[in-house]
Amino acid sequence: MTTLTFIQPDGSEKSVAATEGRSLMEIAQGAGVAGIVAECGGSAACATCHVVLPQDVFDRLGPPEEHEEDMLDFADAPREPCSRLSCQVNVTSDMDGMTVRVPAA
Amino acid sequence: MESKISGTDIPIIDDIVFEDLMRDPYPVYKRAQAMGPIVRIEAANLLLVTHFDDILEIEHDPETFSSDNPESNVVKLFGPNLMRKDGEAHKRERKAIEPTMRPGTATRCWGPVLEGIVDEVISAFEKKGEADLFDALAAPISGRALAAVVGFDDVSWQTIAAWSQGMMDGAGNYSGDPKLTARALEVSREIEAAVDRNTRRLLEAPDESLLSSMLQAGLTTKEIYGNTKVAVGGGYNEPRDAILSLIYGLLLNPDQKDKVVADPTLWQPAFEEAVRWISPIGMYPRLLTRDVEIGGHTVPKGTQIGLSVAAANHEEPRFEAPQRYNAFRPKAQHLAFGSGSHFCAGTWVARVMVTRIVAPQVFARLKNLRLKDPDLVTIRGWVFRGPTSLPVVWDV
Repeated sequence: MTTLTFIQPDGSEKSVAATEGRSLMEIAQGAGVAGIVAECGGSAACATCHVVLPQDVFDRLGPPEEHEEDMLDFADAPREPCSRLSCQVNVTSDMDGMTVRVPAA
Repeated sequence: MESKISGTDIPIIDDIVFEDLMRDPYPVYKRAQAMGPIVRIEAANLLLVTHFDDILEIEHDPETFSSDNPESNVVKLFGPNLMRKDGEAHKRERKAIEPTMRPGTATRCWGPVLEGIVDEVISAFEKKGEADLFDALAAPISGRALAAVVGFDDVSWQTIAAWSQGMMDGAGNYSGDPKLTARALEVSREIEAAVDRNTRRLLEAPDESLLSSMLQAGLTTKEIYGNTKVAVGGGYNEPRDAILSLIYGLLLNPDQKDKVVADPTLWQPAFEEAVRWISPIGMYPRLLTRDVEIGGHTVPKGTQIGLSVAAANHEEPRFEAPQRYNAFRPKAQHLAFGSGSHFCAGTWVARVMVTRIVAPQVFARLKNLRLKDPDLVTIRGWVFRGPTSLPVVWDV
């Protein structure tokens, strides 16, 4: 089990036990993390599951695909250097202890 | 909507006729919501789910609530398509159309094309001082935009409109009227012929159109036919109706209109509110792949249920005074574009078209735009709903 901490748009924190292999979006939705709407249920079509990852995790994952890349520019909250759509990031064991920020729109 | 009705203890609404739904389904939805999570609507021969959270939950479980229904009129008349597939099969075809539909493409590639279309359409009538915006504005813009995005360079908006009507009539033909079936099959062949013609051109000179994206992704001809028909059936009426509902909502509320016109960032929430208020697609079906308990009732495998996003978008207290257009409502999720993996692929093109081009242009160019007579406005439909006549006047 991997433990993740989400910083919600209002600044409050929520720690969640995450199952590896599931997407960050699914974990956040399951835990009721504020700001992760995920209208399209994980198909990278709605840009409503925007998160900001720690730099080292972002770098390790490699660049997002072209479609996600495009979609990130249209998320409600302005894009940041380590922005990702949480539906496109799967939880791995090396993310244990990671803090993920949900940016405020 | 064909449907095996079962579960005899499910509450029933049986004191309305189909025409009541066509005229104004919202009172029926309100009653249904008070009766429980699933209600049988006798006049539509359908089990309807009307609660917002239930629809969200259903859309998160496509294995139980499948989009794949080989018995549906749509699949029988027009062939398989991505809207009626699940899982990997759906994903592959959806991915193929992404390059055309993503927001960056909508802005960079379609934006200028749509600006040209909107300018031509408005120029054709702006000196008249009076028009029905259904015929003069929304139908031609929506049809021409669809032809451009699909990649049909030789199809008029009138043809798109006629195809769309033929498809809808065929899909809704539950009485099996042979004339409607024949017309739907004719439309089906005409669209396939248009695909064939334009394919030859797009293989030589690929572009960012839907057809070209599907060709570049290597979809089969059958897949391309099916998905192009879905685009015609689902990409013409909806933006047309959204344009009209947005304009109507603002003309009913001049104080809101003044604020929105003064601040272009407000077009976005004004548009989202319009499609919440009068959702262009009010209901879509899902097929149960196993027995499921919904609200204490066992609904058997093989039953088709209708998800009423129009009802969900008017659910109280989630939406206060839901029957009123209010662009200044607290920001909240709505279901007008659906949810889950079948989330409307055209969402971003529609947003760019309506909020950045059509609506700002209309209110900038038609000075002092107002309803000719509020009593002349007609709104109709329940599966597909929108203004069917919007007579307006403006200063010239």
